[in-house]
Amino acid sequence: MNVVLPRIAARNLLRQKKRTVLLAGAIAFGIMIVTLINGFAGSFIQNVSENFAYLMGGHVFVSGSEYTASGKRISVIRDDSIIMSALSGSGQTWSSLAKTSQASATIIFEGKSIRQNLTGIDLSHSTMLRQRLALVKGSWEDAMQPDALIISQSVANKLKVLPGDKVVAQLQTITGQNNVGEFRVAAITIDSSFVGSIMTYVQLGYLNSLIGLKPGEYMSLGIMLDRLDRSGKVADALYTSMKGLGIPLFDRVSSAQESASATPFQQMIREQNSEKWSGTKYRVYTIDDVLSQARQIVVALDTASLAILIVLFAIVMIGISNTFRMAMYERIREIGTMRAMGVQRDEIRAMFLYEALFLAFAGAVAGIVLALIIMGILGLISFDSQSPIFLILKQGHLSFYLPLLRAAANILIIALLTLAAVYAPANAASKMRPADALRTVK
Amino acid sequence: MNVYFKKAIISFLALIVLGTAAIMPLAAQAKPDPLALLKEIDRLSDFSGKDFSAVFTIVTQKPGEKDSVTQARIFRRDTKKQFLILILLPEVNKGQGYLREEDNVWFYDPTSRKFSHSSVKENLQNTKAKNSDFTLSSFAEDYSVSSMTEGTLGKFPVWILDLKARTNEVAYERVVLHIRKDRTMLLKREDYSVNGRLMRTTAYPKYVELDGKLLPSQILILDEINKGEKSQITMTEQSVAALPDKVFTKAFLEQVSR
Repeated sequence: MNVVLPRIAARNLLRQKKRTVLLAGAIAFGIMIVTLINGFAGSFIQNVSENFAYLMGGHVFVSGSEYTASGKRISVIRDDSIIMSALSGSGQTWSSLAKTSQASATIIFEGKSIRQNLTGIDLSHSTMLRQRLALVKGSWEDAMQPDALIISQSVANKLKVLPGDKVVAQLQTITGQNNVGEFRVAAITIDSSFVGSIMTYVQLGYLNSLIGLKPGEYMSLGIMLDRLDRSGKVADALYTSMKGLGIPLFDRVSSAQESASATPFQQMIREQNSEKWSGTKYRVYTIDDVLSQARQIVVALDTASLAILIVLFAIVMIGISNTFRMAMYERIREIGTMRAMGVQRDEIRAMFLYEALFLAFAGAVAGIVLALIIMGILGLISFDSQSPIFLILKQGHLSFYLPLLRAAANILIIALLTLAAVYAPANAASKMRPADALRTVK
Repeated sequence: MNVYFKKAIISFLALIVLGTAAIMPLAAQAKPDPLALLKEIDRLSDFSGKDFSAVFTIVTQKPGEKDSVTQARIFRRDTKKQFLILILLPEVNKGQGYLREEDNVWFYDPTSRKFSHSSVKENLQNTKAKNSDFTLSSFAEDYSVSSMTEGTLGKFPVWILDLKARTNEVAYERVVLHIRKDRTMLLKREDYSVNGRLMRTTAYPKYVELDGKLLPSQILILDEINKGEKSQITMTEQSVAALPDKVFTKAFLEQVSR
């Protein structure tokens, strides 16, 4: 391989340090921006999914719907023995199961009130909850009482309650009737996020009695897995197992089948709204199905970054092209000398293209390194748990994930664009007649 | 036995029988059929066959907070179970509205220009009034009478009807009505939760006559859970003039909200 031309190209770049640094700097800036966007998008969906799984208490969910005698649709699982059989028969493993019911309630204490989402769960036996919630005040022993209530610190501060205080909750039954319950504050937890602060935990049995569900009934089964990326596979296996047992099911629409107008979860809801059935019909869905709009955001970010890359570099390439044209005229006598000494046209062209290639690589690598440094600095910033962006963070910090293939693709795009920009002046330089080149006075 | 004594006994017995016969119809008239009473209460707010419109001003008081004023214009067409509630005050919520079409209630937000599902059971804005407080009452359809007793409310003798919901989809499982004896007017209503707790007390101190029916022109709602919180509703500009069909459409709500 001819190494002389690349060495000459490299030397030419180093000869004009200021120009080289400016051009490489422009390329580096563009690559840095695009890499930051790609890195952010890369971890966005992962963080949102993990955080929501943490809040919702599961990666895979089963819920049931049925119509009342008057035609009102309610969410309920009345007999879960068949679901448990299907789960056992699916051949999948899981970390924990959570049977929950939910109700929106106004919690009132001494003239102060706040709207909260009550999640009824077996507080006495939920190891998942004990792992997730860090208690500031109160105890898990007190949480075993039938009327126990666990609230976040921000809610406790707003209501000015302490463990042992009795609060009233105004809510509606599953059929929309007004009801009132009394709870005793068992524990106060650290706010896990601004979403977590609107979630209050109560005993499943008591909440069910308030919302019109019988003992043993509940609204949703949450299955927590050891890894988020297994959720699709587990959901599919459970769906197949449930179907095999003859359990009435809504069609499972996975994230892969989503349309542009609706997420899988929205499609399931649409199907549910348009259908009528008797008895209980179930749906199986994952945290990704619920959050597939987050995936659309990632796709949008990736598309935007590609568009930015092309537009930014189109502008940069114009500058590179003009700069190389100027460089060609500056070095016209040098080109003439080289041609006179026997360097062929394609070697002249190749020399310029090598210069462009080295410039592109240097700029791209510098840009990626800069982006990594900035990612590292940004990752050190700690965000408040009440921040609205908490859901996209990883344990309170920004996180980035840049797939190697994406970085390589960006470098390749830059290289191609730079070569394209420099080709015309390189070609013009190669077509010069040696005598004309040597005769030219700058 | 002495003849005069026998005659006295017979006369006394006759007096008892005749007296009882005379009193019984009176007693029967004094205690009306509770279901008929409920139907009459419903009829008083039923403008089926006509359209109803009015402006309601709701002043809500919450301890420690400034009084808030909500004003809404309400249009009703009871034959088709339609209503439109258009928020006029406060300025920040002006243009918001609730539209009922059969069993669907839509809430419109002019800021987002979107409709979202609501319910007749939901509170109207930040007040203690519910959307259902402004619609056709249906006590006879939704409730059965558990008991009927007598009492007084202030200076008025009243019938006290204890009602139980016929289905589990009615807003309140138990309702107690205090109805004036001399003239069928609802004076007070108590709403109870599913587990029997008093949640809301509504008083109807003033009435106006409209199209031959008595309508409460002033309603006072006391929140029995949040002690101290209450709303006072005043009705003005009431009318039974015909309304155009377009009033009960989403398009109309969007148009007037601009």
